[in-house]
Amino acid sequence: MAEQKRPRQDTMSSGERMGAILMRQRPDRIPFMPFIFGYCARNVGYPIGAVYNDPEKSFWAQMWTAEMFGYDGGAMYAYASMGGWEFGGEIKMPQSEWEQAPTVARFPAQTPEAVDALEIPDVATAGCYPIALKFNKIQQQFGMPIMVMAFGCFTPAGNIAEVDVLCRWMMKRPEVAHKLLRKCTDFSKKVVDYYVEHFPNYPMMGFTGEASAANQIISPKQFEEFVLPYQKEIHAHILQSGIRNIFCHICGEQNLNLKYWAQMEYGDPGILSFGHEVDLTKAIEVFGDKHAIAGNIEPQVIQNGSNQQVYELCKAAIEKAKMAPSGYLLMAGCEVPVQAPPYNIYVMKKAVMEHGFYD
Amino acid sequence: MATEARKKEIFEALYDGVVAFDEDKVVEYSKLVLDEDVDAYEAIMDGLAAGMEHVGELYANQEYFVPEVLMCSDALYAGLDMLRPHVSGKEARVKGQVVIGTVEGDVHDIGKNLVKMMFDVAGFTVHDLGRDVKLERFVEEQLKTDSEIVALSALMTTSMLAMPKVIEMIKARNPNALIMVGGAPISQEVADNYGADGYAKNASNAVQEAIQMISRLREMGKA
Repeated sequence: MAEQKRPRQDTMSSGERMGAILMRQRPDRIPFMPFIFGYCARNVGYPIGAVYNDPEKSFWAQMWTAEMFGYDGGAMYAYASMGGWEFGGEIKMPQSEWEQAPTVARFPAQTPEAVDALEIPDVATAGCYPIALKFNKIQQQFGMPIMVMAFGCFTPAGNIAEVDVLCRWMMKRPEVAHKLLRKCTDFSKKVVDYYVEHFPNYPMMGFTGEASAANQIISPKQFEEFVLPYQKEIHAHILQSGIRNIFCHICGEQNLNLKYWAQMEYGDPGILSFGHEVDLTKAIEVFGDKHAIAGNIEPQVIQNGSNQQVYELCKAAIEKAKMAPSGYLLMAGCEVPVQAPPYNIYVMKKAVMEHGFYD
Repeated sequence: MATEARKKEIFEALYDGVVAFDEDKVVEYSKLVLDEDVDAYEAIMDGLAAGMEHVGELYANQEYFVPEVLMCSDALYAGLDMLRPHVSGKEARVKGQVVIGTVEGDVHDIGKNLVKMMFDVAGFTVHDLGRDVKLERFVEEQLKTDSEIVALSALMTTSMLAMPKVIEMIKARNPNALIMVGGAPISQEVADNYGADGYAKNASNAVQEAIQMISRLREMGKA
């Protein structure tokens, strides 16, 4: 590394640091939460699929990797291809060296009739939720806060019907698209209710995300009609259920959708993470007064870039976002690639330690 | 035999039908092409394909998004299916061949399908291997078909790592094969580093890049 500064000492624990963000106070430094799943399994010698299908291994792989790199935040269970399995289709766990997350192997509803026939699943037995719940129980044993993976609407609908089928329904049979989105939304609310019932008075944060609604796929007008009302309803339900904060991953190119994301509730404060496609200055301008901002370190650079490139990218992000009114968390713009060089993750932390302190 | 004015009217209707994703209109005017003995090849190129090129521009300018383009594609293929069997042998000669697929480990194929469509409408023979394609399949298919282009797509940062490997595998067996790469995590720098010959900058301009690749190949053909 060309740049060498004297390392600073933390004056807060990770828990205190995250607590400060959620209480709208300045922590000692910006938190570093890489947004990392499959990498952790690979890092400790497990199959990548273990982070999604083995709660015990998933938890410990994430905890050990957090310890190794010294990043904030603990473990969480989540992936982007939810929907297909939960509604009766099939999922394929990552197996080859080119895979990093589960993918839908069979879409359960690709006709309007199949959408009609879809029943809202039982949370306790639906797809990955039994695994997620075991994972959450382990978190509970260790007194760690739980991220409630609140399913969502548009991306899961695309994982139930397949994205191009959903897109065609939006154009030709909007009532079918709405029916499917309604079912996804109802299931999301059921998931939240389940967690509130089974983890009473336990510290939890809602987790939502949206990838398929990116402007690489749909227009802002389509977002307004097919995403906004449902996502808004899910967020409102999470907060009405007593969960105080939502972590929302606004994935990919979403610049044209930001005005709609701004119409949703995220708690006080929420944490909103962005891909590299959304400039941090813009994110702060739209959301920064009310919510903490996270992201937008480009995963491709974390994987393929030199350690100096990663460091400079992180340093620039920190300088741009550190003074955001409700705080900034250094985070990858999407999941850290499983084949990223370990040193590139180390330099992300290094950038935080050298540029992320507030005094 | 249709007059030039009538042909122009029909071609414009086909163009408009594709752009406005009006499948019924495309079918209606494709039928008129056949009924009025209009040259089917001209109708495809000056009507359907021209319309789809404009759709590509609308997509690049963020006036159309994937749902609209898919509908345009449906209208396009409704016309192609009717007209292609009536293209004469000389005109139907293949402009080139392309092997296309989403690389192993990646199931995202919307971008790949859009690029495929543009090759298709421009008169290329397209060998679509689908998604999550084993790397050896690209090599085998290129050799089997002697395709000029192999188009590789990836959306995921992990699966993109398969690209340099498959490029190396293809070039080792056929150094003259042209490789095009595209997908959200790919940049020009990455494409260059991977040894690709062509690059679709991102999902929003993949269609245009496909058109440019076709143009380059046409130029090569003339040379």
